[in-house]
Amino acid sequence: MPSCKDITNHTSEYLDRHMPWHKRIGYWLHLLMCVHCKRYVDQLKLTISTIGRTQDATPPDVSDEQIKDISKCLQEQMAKTDRE
Amino acid sequence: MATPSLPSDEILIPKLLARDELAYNQIVSAYHGLMVHLARAIVGSAIADEVAQESWVAVLRALPKFERRSSLKTWILRIVSNTAKSRLRHESRTVNLGDALEDSPIVDPSRFKANAHWATPPMNWHADTPDALLSRTELSECISSTLSLLPPVQRAAITLRDMQGLSMEDICKVLEVSESNGRVLLHRARSRIQQAIEEHLKR
Repeated sequence: MPSCKDITNHTSEYLDRHMPWHKRIGYWLHLLMCVHCKRYVDQLKLTISTIGRTQDATPPDVSDEQIKDISKCLQEQMAKTDRE
Repeated sequence: MATPSLPSDEILIPKLLARDELAYNQIVSAYHGLMVHLARAIVGSAIADEVAQESWVAVLRALPKFERRSSLKTWILRIVSNTAKSRLRHESRTVNLGDALEDSPIVDPSRFKANAHWATPPMNWHADTPDALLSRTELSECISSTLSLLPPVQRAAITLRDMQGLSMEDICKVLEVSESNGRVLLHRARSRIQQAIEEHLKR
């Protein structure tokens, strides 16, 4: 059975389902019995969802005008490369 | 991230190689924002646009040699990551994987008893949804400033996973790290933010 410290070291592995099943069972049993670790894991889960809701999580908007400008510039560069 | 108007890689790549104008517009529209987002995570906002532009040229030049061992999106993001990392090195800033994987504890060891069980357990946050948490004064700014203090490669891992929703396998290809190192980077980054939230809520 993992200790509380082990639980905190592997929480992402557990939440992202990257943990082998035999380790997962011990982890899950610990969470059934330890309210503190259950809280720790729930809080990391909430942290992950919250990170996805912050302003930093949104890729910058690219306007149609910018798309055309970048695309045109790239086509010109590649045409130049083709000629060389 | 969904790219509904983008044709499959099999259709798109030959069109890009043929310098098709519509294909150029489609691919820039689908990926430019994601590229700037990843570049920002590694080099910061000031030169992220420049890094994305530089990456586009590298992508289109290397496209004839693309071996399709990953999706086009993953391959493009890998080029962005490498361009951003060499830009950091060029400016004498380091992208040291060792630093990002540092062996410091995830939770302050003084919070555990000798038997590795909690001595100072996590406090109650009195919030169980992101909206409830983000309604706390200045918490969003706290997360943002903690993100800005992370090592670049940890920030890139969290951007790709928790913001852009890439799989762990793709993240490891983009950042050129092993799967176990990728997991450590991500867990360290998330834990730093969790810890910052707890400290903020204690105030």
